[in-house]
Amino acid sequence: MTTSGKNIQSGLEVTKREVKRLFSNKVYLFCMFVAPLFCLLFFLSLMHKGLPTDLPLALVDLDNSSSSGNLARQLDTFEGTQIIFQTSDFSEAREIMQKGEIYGILLIPGNFAKDAVSGKQPKLSFYTNNSYLIAGSLLFRDLKTISVLASASVGLQTGRAKGYTDDRIMTQLQPIVIDTHPIGNPWLNYSVYLNNIIIPGILQLMIFCVTVYSIGIEIKERTTRKWLRTGNNSLFISLIGKLIPQTILFLICGLIIYATLYGGMNFPFNGSIFSMLLLLFLFIIAGQAFGVFMIGVLPTLRLGLSFACIWGMISFSICGFSFPVTAMYPPVQALSNLFPLRHYFLIYVDQALNGREILFSWEHYIAMTAFLILPFLVFKPLTFAIRHAKHEL
Amino acid sequence: MNYENMNDIINYWKYELKQVFKDAGVIIFFLVVPFAYPVLYGIIYNPEIVHEVPMVVVDLSHSSSSREFIRKNDASPEVKIVAIVTGMEEAIRMTDKKEAYGILVIPKEFSKNLHTERKAVVKLYCDMSSLLYYKAFLLTATEVSLDMGKELLIENLPGNSSKMDEITANPVNHESIALYNPQNGFATFLLPAILVLVIQQTLLLGVGMLAGTRRSSRHTGPTFPEARISQVLWGRFFAYLTIYMIVCFWALIVVPHLFKLPQMASFYTIALFALPYLSACIFFSMAISCFVKSREIPMMIFVFTSLPLLFISGISWPGSSIPVFWEWVSYIFPSTFGIRGFIKINSAGAELPLISFEYMMLWIQAFVFFIITFSLYQFNARGQGLSKEHFMMTVGKKSR
Repeated sequence: MTTSGKNIQSGLEVTKREVKRLFSNKVYLFCMFVAPLFCLLFFLSLMHKGLPTDLPLALVDLDNSSSSGNLARQLDTFEGTQIIFQTSDFSEAREIMQKGEIYGILLIPGNFAKDAVSGKQPKLSFYTNNSYLIAGSLLFRDLKTISVLASASVGLQTGRAKGYTDDRIMTQLQPIVIDTHPIGNPWLNYSVYLNNIIIPGILQLMIFCVTVYSIGIEIKERTTRKWLRTGNNSLFISLIGKLIPQTILFLICGLIIYATLYGGMNFPFNGSIFSMLLLLFLFIIAGQAFGVFMIGVLPTLRLGLSFACIWGMISFSICGFSFPVTAMYPPVQALSNLFPLRHYFLIYVDQALNGREILFSWEHYIAMTAFLILPFLVFKPLTFAIRHAKHEL
Repeated sequence: MNYENMNDIINYWKYELKQVFKDAGVIIFFLVVPFAYPVLYGIIYNPEIVHEVPMVVVDLSHSSSSREFIRKNDASPEVKIVAIVTGMEEAIRMTDKKEAYGILVIPKEFSKNLHTERKAVVKLYCDMSSLLYYKAFLLTATEVSLDMGKELLIENLPGNSSKMDEITANPVNHESIALYNPQNGFATFLLPAILVLVIQQTLLLGVGMLAGTRRSSRHTGPTFPEARISQVLWGRFFAYLTIYMIVCFWALIVVPHLFKLPQMASFYTIALFALPYLSACIFFSMAISCFVKSREIPMMIFVFTSLPLLFISGISWPGSSIPVFWEWVSYIFPSTFGIRGFIKINSAGAELPLISFEYMMLWIQAFVFFIITFSLYQFNARGQGLSKEHFMMTVGKKSR
């Protein structure tokens, strides 16, 4: 048999051995399928509405006139808000806000209706609880709209008295109109916004963990000799043979995720299928390469796993899908490039959300591929650890 | 409780502390992660807000009004106009290259419309890779348009006094007050929740690892008499409590101070709140650790739960929009009430009576998980195979 033929033969032997190992330990099944698919289900059902609706708020009406009542009714018809509490005591409303039962308060001052038509410029005040950022921002938008509307309705009254047409009055009150086009996610759907990154992030965390565990457990249980022997005493062949079945299983899980997000849920997908499949594949093998690096740098199971968990968790923050990387401190910005999820996010934005040409994301495809160099950096320490596997505590 | 019992508990307390400090893996979770993580997240989120988000303008009007509109957008702290171009294609190319994240299109008839009392429609295209970009663009453009609209109206009304003009343009004033997070900062919003969650998650990992070590070690000792279960249990509880009082002080008091997060609660309020939270977390971890069979498995199984737990707490996705089923599921975890309660006392300045629900739930959880732990310990001690080793500790003998 030729050398390459023999190498392939022993690689296949390692793969066979690995498949047996994967199916004999439940923790693999849990990490590769149960955890990511549970999260997929959880997050999609948690945010199935897309936008939070009926955010509770309180109305403090000190005027009690028909026009203040009108204002409240108008606000209540907004899909995003719901007045759950009405009082004439502001401190009572604030207490409920502190209790977290409402996210905002609209305060209508006394004599509001009278002052408005007599030109005394009464002031509507709205308070939002911004320790809940999403709820606070959404309420802010609706309360702002209602305040502008209040102004407009009084303007209409006085304008009509002067004999102007409604159209003319509205133009006078708001001569410049902003017509907004959020590209790719016109509904401002939070599920789209968050889950496109959270779910791949969970998958990546699991790829890190499984890669580290599957190698680390051999070191811990001193089965590395057997593993290496099966792989014709070549670490390269032993690693490839070990990782390929995991790649395939993660790919299957990734495809289920993609089918659910872009098929079942109809999340925005404006690019080519090829570019996203390429992304998924590179993302998975980049994660595996990083995993090999982790156990190579810290060749004891628990330390390697700690590395995997910490890197995997920080990915969520540093990839910039919630708080943008461009707003972080420069050293953190530089550091973000070391996280595969960062490049995943940027490619996803280009390819799936915005449907840009693949050329505009080439740097990130390259960066993702560059993670494949990582295992070669730790070949020496990893070889050493594997050949001298000692029983750790 | 008599003197002998107390003595035993103290001995177990000492023994468990020794176990913790003997084990590098546990130290990582009990000390390194809780101390380093909050700082790391603090550094990532500390800039709080986005500012000077790049935007490109397609100015088809070329008028003094359009230039004023552009200038006013540029002058806001949130937005920066990086280029004014003549065609949409050029603008799109800039967004493709991420030189800008938004496009503002000022129509040809902008100036003419404004001066003939017709509506001028400005189009705003936003890259939706970050909602914060979108918010910066939209709020700025809206502010500027309202502002310019007011000025225009006043210009177009001849002969009135300026105060009258102002009133006609704006018959009703409004003010918005952002409570508890005045600058709408990201760290102020997310970091407190992370701080509370880290406490539960690291306890879960560390206690799980200690239990895994006990199970997997081949070390054998005398069988443990049932009567002493409660002493082991309390000894361990107080050992973890000792360590986590320090962790709590760091995470809930020092870190908020370091990163200038809201600190409305007094030291005593936080201490009184931390007690049931820690108790619930510790018994929760001890109960779960009864099922852990190896040192490393907890990491693979528990770490990812941090994300669902963060979201189920209602800090990001509002609690009022969490489906009922998940709301009930969330009641199992101390972190839910820990996060909710901590944000209410420390960000919103609520006193303990205002968060009596969370406070009570934490005590109930502590009690329920104590009962569960106690029963599991008892069950294990009755000689159910592997788990018997759980109680094979020499310290009990030595103390006699």
